[in-house]
Amino acid sequence: MSRIGVFVCYCGENIGRTVNCSEVTQRAAKLRDVVYSVDYKYMCSDPGQQIIKDAIKKYNLNGIVVASCSPLMHEKTFRHAVVEAGLNPFLCELANIREHCSWVHDDKRNATDKALDLIRMMVEKVKKNLPLDTIKIPVTRRALVIGGGVAGIQAALDIADGGKEVVMVEKSPSIGGHMAQLSETFPTLDCSQCILTPKMVDVNSHKNIKLYTYSEIENVKGYIGNFEITIRKKTRYVDDSICNGCGICIEKCPQKKINSEFNTNLGTRKAIYVPFPQAVPNIPVIDKENCTYFKNGKCKVCEKFCDRNAIKFEQTDEFIKENVGAIVVATGFDLYSIEKERSDNYQGYGEYGYGKDPDIINSLQFERLLSASGPTLGEVTRPSDGKIPETVVFIQCVGSRDKSKGIEFCSKICCMYTAKHTMLYKHKVHNGKAFVFYMDIRAAGKNYDEFVRRAIEEDEAIYLRGRVSRIYREKDKLIVKGADTLIGKQVEIAADLVVLATAMLPQKDTVPFAQKLGIGYDKYHFLSEAHPKLKPIETNTAGIFLAGACQAPKDIPEAVAQASAAASKVLGLCSNDQLEREPYVAYVNESSCIGCEFCLQSCTYSAIENKSIVNSKGELVKKVAYVNKGVCQGCGTCVSICRSKSIDLAGYTDEQIYSEINSMFV
Amino acid sequence: MNSISEIAKKLLDENRVSAVVGYSIGSLPNKTKTVIVKSSQQAEKLIFNNLCVNNLAIYLTKSFRLTTQKPVAVVMKGCDVKSVTGLIQEKQIEREQVFIIGVKCNGVSEDGKNLSPKCYSCKLQTPKMYDILVGEEEEKNIEFKNPFSDVEEFEKKSLDERWNFWMNELEKCVKCYACRQVCPLCYCEKCIVDKTVPRWIEPHTSKSSNLSWHITRAFHLAGRCTGCGECERACHHNIPLSLLNKKMAKVVYDNFNYQAGLDDKAKSPLADFKFQDKEDFIR
Repeated sequence: MSRIGVFVCYCGENIGRTVNCSEVTQRAAKLRDVVYSVDYKYMCSDPGQQIIKDAIKKYNLNGIVVASCSPLMHEKTFRHAVVEAGLNPFLCELANIREHCSWVHDDKRNATDKALDLIRMMVEKVKKNLPLDTIKIPVTRRALVIGGGVAGIQAALDIADGGKEVVMVEKSPSIGGHMAQLSETFPTLDCSQCILTPKMVDVNSHKNIKLYTYSEIENVKGYIGNFEITIRKKTRYVDDSICNGCGICIEKCPQKKINSEFNTNLGTRKAIYVPFPQAVPNIPVIDKENCTYFKNGKCKVCEKFCDRNAIKFEQTDEFIKENVGAIVVATGFDLYSIEKERSDNYQGYGEYGYGKDPDIINSLQFERLLSASGPTLGEVTRPSDGKIPETVVFIQCVGSRDKSKGIEFCSKICCMYTAKHTMLYKHKVHNGKAFVFYMDIRAAGKNYDEFVRRAIEEDEAIYLRGRVSRIYREKDKLIVKGADTLIGKQVEIAADLVVLATAMLPQKDTVPFAQKLGIGYDKYHFLSEAHPKLKPIETNTAGIFLAGACQAPKDIPEAVAQASAAASKVLGLCSNDQLEREPYVAYVNESSCIGCEFCLQSCTYSAIENKSIVNSKGELVKKVAYVNKGVCQGCGTCVSICRSKSIDLAGYTDEQIYSEINSMFV
Repeated sequence: MNSISEIAKKLLDENRVSAVVGYSIGSLPNKTKTVIVKSSQQAEKLIFNNLCVNNLAIYLTKSFRLTTQKPVAVVMKGCDVKSVTGLIQEKQIEREQVFIIGVKCNGVSEDGKNLSPKCYSCKLQTPKMYDILVGEEEEKNIEFKNPFSDVEEFEKKSLDERWNFWMNELEKCVKCYACRQVCPLCYCEKCIVDKTVPRWIEPHTSKSSNLSWHITRAFHLAGRCTGCGECERACHHNIPLSLLNKKMAKVVYDNFNYQAGLDDKAKSPLADFKFQDKEDFIR
């Protein structure tokens, strides 16, 4: 026998303004099986909750309907109150008369009637509710960090320092990411490598961190607390357990003229190489495409000189399985290029010559020119002829904030690093002139605006507010034609070097990667957070967190802060043996299930398997579907596809939904 | 070329199959009936001619589901094999559980005179899948018809006309469920109409409950019906059920470029998701 209590909330004026709550309360009292109904100004307040608790005891209620706000807001609050009164929390339902009613209507009469309809539906549903128990799932207390840039490094160190094991996977031969490529960092102008490399070394030596470089994620299976990761360890052709990083192989390699990726193609490397001197781990990699032995079948000079026999030409890709409970994705960014031929959907810059002129470079290339470990050993020279440029034009917002090229967002960090570039340039080329074309200067942040002012006032960078319409070469010079909108005139600058602050984009192939993990991404393929304000670290898939520029353009402090936040989320998760989750999962009626496996195919979470039913003699009677409760997310796709209605969703059973709908036709 | 009965005799004698499902001479003129032959002495009953309209795939689930470890042999035309493909696809039988005696078919007839409507759009005179093949393929002297031609014709009518047409047709239904019983792909042991908590489809016959039954039936066959036409032949009120099924098949074909019963490894378009799937229904 159902004994339902209805509790109507005014939510101050939020509901009370448009819904006649006292009328709703009186009419709700007359609904069948409702034994008590009451209204109160703020039902979520302590006294409000006390009303519910008292009523449950006084009227011996076995079903609660709170007519208030969205379940997202206060379902937890009310269910908690119900538990304190000794009732199963899942016997409490919320009728959303705020977001679904008072907020979207202005006609009081109709809104009041609708509020009652919503309550009536919930009363009918709650009558069919069954007490449910939360589901407990075990947790593997280790984490995977994908990406070894500064965000990944910080997340891994924080988790490892928290006492939990970390598996770090980095696709390139060394960790360090883009930060290792930078010369100095804003706003303090401290050397990027000097502050990063200690952290890189820490990662390599930390007893809780297992590092896989030159490796990629092959497959991700499982769910929060229980992920099974397959890692593809790409072939280095060097045995990392034997190699001591002496470098003789690199020294002797005859292939010298291969573009160095680390030096953004401004320098060269050998066919066997470590990307940069402070690389972690300091183990070389053979670039198969450029290696003389792989090309011609002859050479093996490196093998000859290696006295530890670490060179292994016969090595193949290795697949390693790791079990983890949480994943931090820190795959970082890539730069937009102004090229004409492209693999993405954006437009190149024909007006800047599609990047064909060697003296039109991007800002990361300029970082390498400035860097002491760069191809010019820190001397700023032009790529074309090695001349020291006396006039440099910096152009901001190349790609960014340019709808016509397909990117509308602001890349956020360019204003700051361009100011930094002008300063560093001035420090190295004292008689040099730096011009900056900008749209707005966005320098919000601690000591940021002061930094830009310093570039303008002390280091004499000339800032011109306007866009550049064309760049073309005239003999030795690059003619930059643009507008100075503050004085309202066209300007023409004969530059030696042009540096483009190109837009920050997510890494290439983010889409298949995100699909592998089952996490969302936006139209630019940046990975999506679960909520832009309240869940900026989480993804929509439980147990997977984001850190750094894979989510959106970020500077170093922001990436590091987010990485630490992700680490704290991971540590929180890993501090439990078990996880509790809501019991809204599908279950199978094995007597009528015919095992067609449509649910199995349609399940996006791979939560459904098949199960053999055998008789007492061990003979197969039939195969049916089986739901793994730990994996099921309760989306209900299987329920809708089942023809014999043999699968149902606890908490949202067909019978409950049917009762709700039927209540509308009384 | 061996005849069907010789093949059956051999299969049974060698103990390779537990039974042979095939056609025999019927008790009415111009009709054949199904025979389940379990011993080689009875194998002579088996025949095949242009009156063998029935789709025998039905016997693979409803009579033989997992009852025997040994395979069952069944006589199949090209069109019937599509149903078997569907059953394998949907895990109701395994390929090894059925021995297909494929027959080359030159069209069948329900009354001995006229070609069955399904034969006009048939391209599978030789079955796509079989274990042994019998018969000779003849040149078909008929004009090939687009399988959806009658649907396209029907779609030209106005909404009111179509609605009235179906309400008139469906009103005749007495819910005998013969259409369900005879359908090789309606293999559920407990059909949605038999469910009572909640009761999805009212058991009585009325315009609305008849409509909900037939719409549900057609939806459940969307992307699965191979167009064998058994439902329509079984209906003693001659409700044109094939038209409903074909409409669903056309929708699936237009949206997912998929036809049922051609590939036993294919995923059902309604259960599977591809990134290139149209999303134009979300507005």
